[in-house]
Amino acid sequence: MARIGVFICHCGENIGATVDCFSVAAEAAKLPGVVYSVDYKYMCSDPGQSKIKDAIHEHKLTGVVVSACSPRMHEPTFRKACAEAGLNPYRCEMANIREHCSWVHEKGEATTKKAFDLVRTLVEKVKNNHSLEPIKVPVNKTAIVIGGGVAGIQASLDIANGGHKVILVEREPSIGGHMSQLSETFPTLDCSQCILTPRMVEIAQHPNITLYTYSELESMDGFIGNFNVRIRRKAKSIDEKLCTGCGLCCTKCPTKKIPSEFEQGLANRTAIYVPFPQAVPNKPVIDRTNCRYFQTGKCKVCQKFCPTGAIRFEQEDEIIEVKAGAIVLATGFEVKDAGFFPEYGYGKYKDVITGLQFERLASASGPTQGEIRRPSDGKIPEKVVFIACAGSRDPAKGISYCSKICCMYTAKHAMLYKHKVHEGTPYVFYMDIRAAGKNYDEFTRRAIEEDGAKYIRGRVSNLYEKDRKLIVRGADTLLGGKPVEIEADMVVLATAAVSCKDSESLAQKLHVSYDSYHFFAEAHPKLKPVETNTAGIFLAGACQAPKDIPESVAAASGAAAKVIGLFSNNELTREPVVAKINQTPPPVFSTCMGCELCMQICPYQAIDKEEIKNRNGEVIKTIAKINPGLCQGCGTCVAFCKSKSIDLEGYSNKQIYAEVMAVIND
Amino acid sequence: MTNEFEPKIVAFVCNWCTYAGADLTGTSRIKYSPNVKIIRFPCTGRIDFMLLLKAFSNGADGVIVSGCHPNDCHYTSGNFHARRRWITFRVLLDFMGIDINRIVFAWVSAAEGAKWAEVVNSTVNKIKELGPYENYREIINEVWEEEKWEI
Amino acid sequence: MGGRKMGNLNEIAAHLLQNDDVQLIIGYGEGSAGRVRPLFVSNKKATEKLLFDSRCTQNLASYLYKKEITCLGKPAIVANIRTLRGIIRLAAEHQLEDETIIALAVSTGDDVKELRRLEDMEQYLSEADLQLKKEDKALLDKLNAMTIADRWAFWQQEMAHCIKCYACRQACPLCYCTQCTVEINQPQWIPVASSKLGNMEWHIMRSMHLAGRCIECGQCGEACPANIPIHLLPIRLAEEIRELYGSVTGISKRESCEMSSFQPDDKEKFIT
Repeated sequence: MARIGVFICHCGENIGATVDCFSVAAEAAKLPGVVYSVDYKYMCSDPGQSKIKDAIHEHKLTGVVVSACSPRMHEPTFRKACAEAGLNPYRCEMANIREHCSWVHEKGEATTKKAFDLVRTLVEKVKNNHSLEPIKVPVNKTAIVIGGGVAGIQASLDIANGGHKVILVEREPSIGGHMSQLSETFPTLDCSQCILTPRMVEIAQHPNITLYTYSELESMDGFIGNFNVRIRRKAKSIDEKLCTGCGLCCTKCPTKKIPSEFEQGLANRTAIYVPFPQAVPNKPVIDRTNCRYFQTGKCKVCQKFCPTGAIRFEQEDEIIEVKAGAIVLATGFEVKDAGFFPEYGYGKYKDVITGLQFERLASASGPTQGEIRRPSDGKIPEKVVFIACAGSRDPAKGISYCSKICCMYTAKHAMLYKHKVHEGTPYVFYMDIRAAGKNYDEFTRRAIEEDGAKYIRGRVSNLYEKDRKLIVRGADTLLGGKPVEIEADMVVLATAAVSCKDSESLAQKLHVSYDSYHFFAEAHPKLKPVETNTAGIFLAGACQAPKDIPESVAAASGAAAKVIGLFSNNELTREPVVAKINQTPPPVFSTCMGCELCMQICPYQAIDKEEIKNRNGEVIKTIAKINPGLCQGCGTCVAFCKSKSIDLEGYSNKQIYAEVMAVIND
Repeated sequence: MTNEFEPKIVAFVCNWCTYAGADLTGTSRIKYSPNVKIIRFPCTGRIDFMLLLKAFSNGADGVIVSGCHPNDCHYTSGNFHARRRWITFRVLLDFMGIDINRIVFAWVSAAEGAKWAEVVNSTVNKIKELGPYENYREIINEVWEEEKWEI
Repeated sequence: MGGRKMGNLNEIAAHLLQNDDVQLIIGYGEGSAGRVRPLFVSNKKATEKLLFDSRCTQNLASYLYKKEITCLGKPAIVANIRTLRGIIRLAAEHQLEDETIIALAVSTGDDVKELRRLEDMEQYLSEADLQLKKEDKALLDKLNAMTIADRWAFWQQEMAHCIKCYACRQACPLCYCTQCTVEINQPQWIPVASSKLGNMEWHIMRSMHLAGRCIECGQCGEACPANIPIHLLPIRLAEEIRELYGSVTGISKRESCEMSSFQPDDKEKFIT
């Protein structure tokens, strides 16, 4: 038999001035199953809580209804008090007679009656509550970081330095990402590679980090603390243990005219290649689509020259399975590709280049050794036009957002150009200068005031080639739309930063949400900026939205802190509000019919199939199985299940049915 | 107490948006009619259509169903599933001659305390205009008579 | 018309049993008073009794999972369009596996097609006419045109005859649950006895459980001993769902259920 205790709180005047708490308590005492009912000034105070604890002992209560404020406020308080008195905390419920009653209604009979109705409803619910135990799940203290750009590197190092194992997965043959392609970085103009490469080396040498380059995530299942991840290690066609990275193969490779991805097509590479001299690992891979042997069956020059016999043409992709407790997504961004800007002549005129290509031109390790020379004829340009917002903030182009980094790098480009070509003139067409950040505005002002970059506020309307010059036409909106025409030698487009092409499929593999631009979505835009909606998966860097280096690094350290926090526990504790498939005696085992429709409805992929076998191991029935680690307790499957074979702890059919039947009862 | 018809209305709301929104109505001390009583669900996806029928069979004159706005669901898609369920449910009830004006659906976020009060008040007014749900009461009472007869 | 036997059907059935391809034929046989009835044949000789004609409209798919039938071995089933859609939908809901039954698809004339795989059945259905029966369409239209008060009166009057015998449930190929919600008593979702309220709640629940799944065979209505057009309830939903989401059920083993899926931009006008 249920022995329910009811505790009516006055909340000082908050409830007491509007609701006749004494009569509610007196009426509640008459409800079937209620053995104790009392009202008190402040239930949440120490003496108030003691009243509950004492009553639990004295009246051997099996359930408690605290009728006070919103459960969103004090449910944890009162459940804890019950637990301290030896009553399972999930046998305590709250009736909200403050926010939902005394604060929103006038003093009077109707309000007191409503308060009592709410108490009665919760009394009926709590009669159907039973003891629940928090769910404990073990934590595998290995993190997987996907993406080896600056964000992935930072997250990996932070987690590894925190004493946990890290598996860093990078799609390209080397880690480093976009940052390794940059010349100098704003607002300090320090050399990008000089600050990044030591970090890359640290990754390679860290005892806690396992690096898989030329590898991609194949699939993932599992849940926080217990992910199972399959990684495709693409065939590099070399034996990494034997390869010494001497580079002889690359110099001997006869296929030499492949546009280098690292150099953004401004230089060529061979079919067996290391993307750049500082690559980590500094060992080549064979690009099979361009390799003469793989295309024609004849060549093997690299094998002939390799002093250690490390070439492996027969190597195949390998799928490895790893277990991890947390995943950090750091897959970065891409710059919008060429075909997107026909109006700016990109792809048509050789001297119209992207900002990233300019980085390579300005880089000391780039194709021109850092001299600014235009691609068409190698001439040093006398006038360079920089066009900001190429694609960004352009709803007509489908990119409404600001790419955020362009204002700053365009100012940097103008500066670098001026520093290298003293007599040259940089022009910048811009919409607004967005330079919010530490020392950022000072930086752009320096470009304008000290380095003489000519900023023109307006869009470029027309761009064409004439007598080996690029004629750029636009309007200066600050001069009332006065037409401007510049005979430029080179044009640099600050192309929009967009999400990676396959980010949508990656998000779907990991069950994380993404926005309409296919950037990964954070769990809360302000308070959970590095978490995703999938517990245990975190975000770092520009895969979430365009970010500059300091922001990417900060996010990466934030994600790493979350991972380390997660890994500080051996077990995770979760509220036991989860769905369950019912169990019935054999031969039925469960009333679940295995229609599998609930598997589609679950937002968390928490429902799987379970085969029920007899003693001979034969499958006699296939039913649904809910993984309590993944289930978040929304109950959508419960309401959907036709045979009512699923129920939700804490909001069970019996509990809610009892509430509905009690809420109107005259 | 006056003799004016006071409708009985049950509100089925999700914990994360509308329940919190109704809390905010309270914190903001916005007044509304006491005819509505709230039952808390984790998500609108959890609200079984049978529960709405049970509310009516138990004497409710109207029902409010409310949860997070589309795309705001705490569980990412429970409200989307709920929405399809209600679209279908309304078609069926209407086809059977049940007055779907007595079921009010709303999206009320945790920030919309004023909207919650408005939803409640407009529902109460609407049900007052419609009057007690006589059709339904008639078939409910038949059960009671039968039960008496059985005893 | 009358009991025209089709040589072809009987021959194929006999052949299947003789080869032990199947151990049971589920089909139609001559019943009493000029009616046909389901016939279960497990010996070759009795296949003579199988027939198919315009009276054979019953959806036989619901027999496929009944224990008394499944224990008799692998079946071949004489399948009209409704039965085939039932089979496909059962497969889509994982209630039967591919190549565990043989469908003897019959429509008109002597043309019996032996379909061994679900894929063959899907192919067959892709060419079939899936239109609603004319009289059902007419009654649907009539009800839709009524005022809400008239519809209430119509259904109340009809359902007064319901005796809660659950023949509708037994006949429906998709009511395969071992435990129906009406049999749950904790809580008691629906009053046990036949009453106005309970009858209505039962039919609402049944129809909602068929939403997005109903193959529109109308078998529930045909099975109703009180002749209540209850099949129009799930069919009304099926029509709506087809209109809203464009899906037809019982035609692909990979089909889902519109009630277990959604589109973020699903349209409605009633949520404020």
